[in-house]
Amino acid sequence: MIGQKKKRRVQLIVVGMVLLAAASALIGFGFRQGIQFFRSPSEVVESPPGPDELFRIGGLVEVGSLIEGSGETITFIVTDNAKTVPVSYTGILPDLFDEGQGVIALGHLREGTFYATEILAKHDESYMPKEVIDSLKEQGLYEAPDS
Amino acid sequence: MSLWEFANPVKFIRLSGRLLPWVSGLTVICLAVGLIWGLFFTPEEARQGHIAKIIYIHVPLAMMAINAWGMMFVTSLIWLIRRHHVSVLAAKAAAPIGATFTLLAIITGAIWGAPTWGTPWVWDPRLTSFAVLLVFYFGYMALWAAIEDPDKAADLTSVLAMVGTVFAFLSRYAVNFWNQGLHQGASLSLDKEENVADVFYIPLLLSIAGFVLLFLALVLLRTQTEVRARRLRALMLREGANA
Amino acid sequence: MTRAVLMRELRLALRSGGGAGLGLVFFLIVILLIPFGVGPDETLLALIAPGTLWIAALLACLLSLDRIFQADYEDGTLDILTLSPMPLEGLVAIKGLAHWLTTGLPLVIAAPVLGLTLSLPAPAYGWLIASLLVGTPALSFLGTIGAALTVGVRRGGLLLSLLVLPLYIPTLIFGASVVTSAAEGQSVTTAFQLLGGITLFTLALAPFTAAATLRMQMR
Repeated sequence: MIGQKKKRRVQLIVVGMVLLAAASALIGFGFRQGIQFFRSPSEVVESPPGPDELFRIGGLVEVGSLIEGSGETITFIVTDNAKTVPVSYTGILPDLFDEGQGVIALGHLREGTFYATEILAKHDESYMPKEVIDSLKEQGLYEAPDS
Repeated sequence: MSLWEFANPVKFIRLSGRLLPWVSGLTVICLAVGLIWGLFFTPEEARQGHIAKIIYIHVPLAMMAINAWGMMFVTSLIWLIRRHHVSVLAAKAAAPIGATFTLLAIITGAIWGAPTWGTPWVWDPRLTSFAVLLVFYFGYMALWAAIEDPDKAADLTSVLAMVGTVFAFLSRYAVNFWNQGLHQGASLSLDKEENVADVFYIPLLLSIAGFVLLFLALVLLRTQTEVRARRLRALMLREGANA
Repeated sequence: MTRAVLMRELRLALRSGGGAGLGLVFFLIVILLIPFGVGPDETLLALIAPGTLWIAALLACLLSLDRIFQADYEDGTLDILTLSPMPLEGLVAIKGLAHWLTTGLPLVIAAPVLGLTLSLPAPAYGWLIASLLVGTPALSFLGTIGAALTVGVRRGGLLLSLLVLPLYIPTLIFGASVVTSAAEGQSVTTAFQLLGGITLFTLALAPFTAAATLRMQMR
């Protein structure tokens, strides 16, 4: 009887191993296909989502495109250096939001313009003293870290 | 002499008693120098201004919040394999510290995020993972509190630490699938190019060392308490049996 | 032997008033409450329907978890079963299966009907059934770990929820993602693969973990 119990446990372990192998294959395969969370302007231009679909667009704020309209409404152009999408937004902007910087906006695409309900500024992982950057800029040596 | 000698409760109490004043002293020195230097004597960060100085608290806290769980995983595993009481009591002692560090990392992050990102909280993978980690800490502590027999509680919480580690990892990657988020990559890493300028780097390293030592000192102190409480319990049980 | 234990589990679950049916009724009530909370707007309901259905299913699964080992542990049946030729891991697997058959499966069948009331978009129904069918076994089997951990704790239901709910996060993320993607007409393959992977992983490891835990409980 003990022998039988042992045999059954071994059978269960074998089944467990097979399941585990299948699980690793599925998970490995799934993660390799990659996942994306926000869409780039190129993707939005190539296959525009419907007017009811809420999605995120991510890219850089094109230099010289930021226009502060009446009240708190602003417009700017988000670019991935290939395609561009105009964005309109009403509300308070985060500190890091600026031309040439990374941005993620949540909203709807309607008639070619992205109407954002939320703007988030993306910060990169570099920390530099202000004076260093100022002096680098004076010498014309400064390169923006995420350009 | 093997390392396992220190798993002996008597030897542990003696050694940790001798270590604790030194560790505490070093903690105070590192934290004082690192934080005062970092907060008052570093230049303004280029784009974020003075709010960026919160990294001297936030980054070490966040690192130790994860490392504390890692330590609990290792010490719980040692309990399951070799059944050293000091080991599992160290895991029990580390849990509330880890939970506190996690909570403080979230709060300091929110203080930094509110002006810089424009929001104190986003459902970003890193932020969400910390919330999940906090829940795992709470579950671990609740299980310890719920079971009366100390050895059984040690067994069961160790199983939970194992299962929790696996699912904390799984959740970390699953959350990436669900939302890619705002949080910047790690500013410090061993193999990649340095992202933090030298003026910020040295005080940051000092305050990280300070928080590591702080964690060590707190764990030593709390483990001592747990070992003594366990001995007290054993003595009282013996008294009760005699009476 | 396997069959006999499974039939015993099913009979106990169905006859001990409010075991299996209760989860289903709970599922129904939660879905009924959602429109009261967020309003009867159909576009909004359609938007949140996938996640709502998954969360409600997950909570309904949670309800009957504490029954998996509790009664058998208290009246000594578990000790007798460990002496039988069936390994404890096998017993855990059967109890997990019985829990799924009496709790998870009814939810899979009820979900599309409740999806209708939340105006779930038409392309999502097939994937709603498929994702619940693949995902709910993981909920039952993860539940066996939580149930084994809390079996000796008096009134351990709340503790059980606290321990098990965080383990449900990956399943919830991938399960809800399958239905959301299907509703938006996007590809569901990646999420579905990952959901299946998590379930297989759980089916493989949960019986061993829960059995090891039960042995600690009976030591």
